[in-house]
Amino acid sequence: MSTENETILQFAPWESFVSPTFWHKLAELKLDHDRLSDSKRSITGHYTNRNASGCLLEVDYTAYNRTAQPPKFSHAAIGTIYNKNTIEEFKALDKLQLLADEGKELLADMCSGGVLRDPSLLTRFFVLSFADLKCHSYYYWFAFPCPLTPTLKLQGAVQKLRDLDNSSSYINALKTLPTESQNFFILYANVEKNVFEARNLSSLEEKEVEFCYFGFADPSEYEHPAWIMRNYAAFLLQQCPSFVGKPLKFLGLRHNQQMSIDDSPLWQVIQTEACDLRQSGDIKFVGWELNKNGKMGPRMVCMRDSMDPAKLAENSVNLNLKLMKWRLVPDLNLEIISKTKCLLFGAGTLGCAVARNLLSWGFKHITLLDSGKVGFSNPVRQNLYTHTDAVAGNRMKATTAAQRLKEINPSAETAGYVLEIPMPGHTIGESLLVQTKEHLKVIEQLVQDHDVIFLLTDSRESRWLPTLLGAAKEKIVINAALGFDSYLVMRHGTTRKEAGDDGQVIEGLKCINGDQLGCYFCNDVTAPGNSLKDRTLDQQCTVTRPGVSNIAASYAVELLVALLQHPRKELAPAYYAHSGRGKSEEAAGKVPEGLLGILPHSIRGMLCNYENILPATQKFAQCIACSAAVLDQYKKEGHAFLLKTFETAKYLEDLTGISEFKRLNSEIIDFDEEEFDMSDDDED
Amino acid sequence: MGDLSWKDFLSQAKQFLEISQKLDDNWVLEQKDSSEPNIYLKCSQKIKCQSGKNNAVELFSVEYHVVYSVSYQVPMLFFQAHRSDGSLLDVEATWKLFMPESKASDLHQILTQMDHPVLFRPFMALHPCRTADVLKQFGKPSGNQVLSFISLYGPHVQLHLQNAYGLSQEYT
Repeated sequence: MSTENETILQFAPWESFVSPTFWHKLAELKLDHDRLSDSKRSITGHYTNRNASGCLLEVDYTAYNRTAQPPKFSHAAIGTIYNKNTIEEFKALDKLQLLADEGKELLADMCSGGVLRDPSLLTRFFVLSFADLKCHSYYYWFAFPCPLTPTLKLQGAVQKLRDLDNSSSYINALKTLPTESQNFFILYANVEKNVFEARNLSSLEEKEVEFCYFGFADPSEYEHPAWIMRNYAAFLLQQCPSFVGKPLKFLGLRHNQQMSIDDSPLWQVIQTEACDLRQSGDIKFVGWELNKNGKMGPRMVCMRDSMDPAKLAENSVNLNLKLMKWRLVPDLNLEIISKTKCLLFGAGTLGCAVARNLLSWGFKHITLLDSGKVGFSNPVRQNLYTHTDAVAGNRMKATTAAQRLKEINPSAETAGYVLEIPMPGHTIGESLLVQTKEHLKVIEQLVQDHDVIFLLTDSRESRWLPTLLGAAKEKIVINAALGFDSYLVMRHGTTRKEAGDDGQVIEGLKCINGDQLGCYFCNDVTAPGNSLKDRTLDQQCTVTRPGVSNIAASYAVELLVALLQHPRKELAPAYYAHSGRGKSEEAAGKVPEGLLGILPHSIRGMLCNYENILPATQKFAQCIACSAAVLDQYKKEGHAFLLKTFETAKYLEDLTGISEFKRLNSEIIDFDEEEFDMSDDDED
Repeated sequence: MGDLSWKDFLSQAKQFLEISQKLDDNWVLEQKDSSEPNIYLKCSQKIKCQSGKNNAVELFSVEYHVVYSVSYQVPMLFFQAHRSDGSLLDVEATWKLFMPESKASDLHQILTQMDHPVLFRPFMALHPCRTADVLKQFGKPSGNQVLSFISLYGPHVQLHLQNAYGLSQEYT
């Protein structure tokens, strides 16, 4: 029977195509139903022969339903999922044995007549899987078992339905076929008698083979028929042994978008050797799907982005920021924001507001340090606390705030430290000495481990140690302080040394480089003493207009972001207009802008007239917090030096020589105390 | 015109579905619960796209939803693409899918991620801010605005309606 133009017929292998909902449902079933059981579970897949792409077998959440209802224009495939409990079991399972076991079931269906009753049994597939539900990772491997039977040889060229004589008779016959029978069917075509009929597979008649086209819904978009034709042919040859050595005609029914079947291909094939599928012990099977690299192996998909609520939130938060980048500020560096670690001294009104603004900008690392508890008056102003926190035995602010930040954005890394900040002039008793030293160590380490230090405490002297440490460890320091209706927000001059261009000389503007800018204490000529001593209650708990802290906190964070986006970071120069020359407004318009506008040294504003001014001031050589004398002494003596300052503030004044300063250079503080009655206290 | 009430949307969506069924297209109407607006049109298709390092052709499945926007009173096109392993495309990958070449395309301005008004999940969407204006220019007041909307906005994301839809509209 063989002719010269015979070639071996090849098949398009199945390609698995998984809907995200398939994994969602698997996770749900594993958690709520299967739990520790790893027994196999029946599933159904589907494939379409309408406008097919590739040669897809698709599964979605409906796969686990008891009764298969394939989508419109699709046909059901019968499957099983073996979901293992551990990755080890997934790996260790004997893959060849599993394929053979599944294959034998397929052969049993072919031999028992089961396929004649339900031809969809020919589309058997199975999935070996392991669901790592903690990481939302799914390891899986599809297989489409198929017995290794003798090859089918293709006789002649592949034809199309439209090429046949009387093609419309064939097509009209096919149109009468009910949808549910379209997966496997017989097209009976007796041209002489002019009989064209589409029949169910169950009407298979061995003797009529010359008039039969063995039809099947072909999901392949390629020249080759889909893999299922392999099982189909094996079944037919088993069912009708006389087909061996006879030419057999197959029709791969393919619809285009407009439901035309004219281009469906026809193959005439022949199998010359017999093969008895009942001798299943001798038969080998193939069918494991290749992975994406074309290798024999499983696949893995991480579904965290769509299944982990924390990840969903993180992505949505990032999207808002990315939109800013994509649409408005293309050069915005979001990476540096997410990597910058912020340490907040103070978790009160300012601390809470700064922390929330940091979250809004996409900062991920936020640590708060505060020794206080949540009081009844706090929650209305300190926006990370609630009444319950005050009732519940006064929760600690630092740890409660850290926890709240995490609740707001689970992907943030937050920590709270309940610590007292030692202060100059606040003598430490013998009994607390050991504890203070411990706390000092922790505070020093925290400053070391962060990139940015925020000073948000409620007194001037509590800012001294963080200012010193920030300067000693070359950190970015942002300071915010409040008056009743006024605020001061500033970046401290940096101690980081790095070569770079000086600021530009611009007429009418004074320029101070970042490493020459002052700190909070530079403009102040007395060492911080105990400011809480000898004060009435209303002086200790500074009363401020509520909006002030939110404004200052917002400015503090925006100032930091502007600084981080500046090419020179904290070394960026600050410009300010010489006052009193009449042209200061014009000059102010010339201040060079960074990515997000100008980068001032400080912002002083008040609510009574809704105005801000942006002064820039020099470092003060005798500063009691950031001058070389202080930093050197700290480096030399460490804790011993700090303890001396805590003992008496006078020590600092002597060390820096400011006690000898009688007359001060008025230029640096000329606008200070008279214009602004600037209290530096956050409210409690 | 241009604006569309929920009732109008619903009746036009149903009309669209009827046309789709006549044309053997695969649109369906999905209903979530009983709190309106709870119904949307849905269909899906496969899209081929060159991607990855070796420029291999990869197949994506894209699900399209035509949803009613209460705030803008217009239909909105939501969609979500996934790969063969079930992983979803994020907004950047979606841009690449539909705009492989252009960086400065207008589509950047309207293709974004938003919360699906019925499913309350992040979904890709074409922003509805100009839809009413566009519909005003193109949609005949008497015609089916849902159909006009899909045929105008769909092609941005490779959702092409058969011409037969346009023809069918003349008879309705």
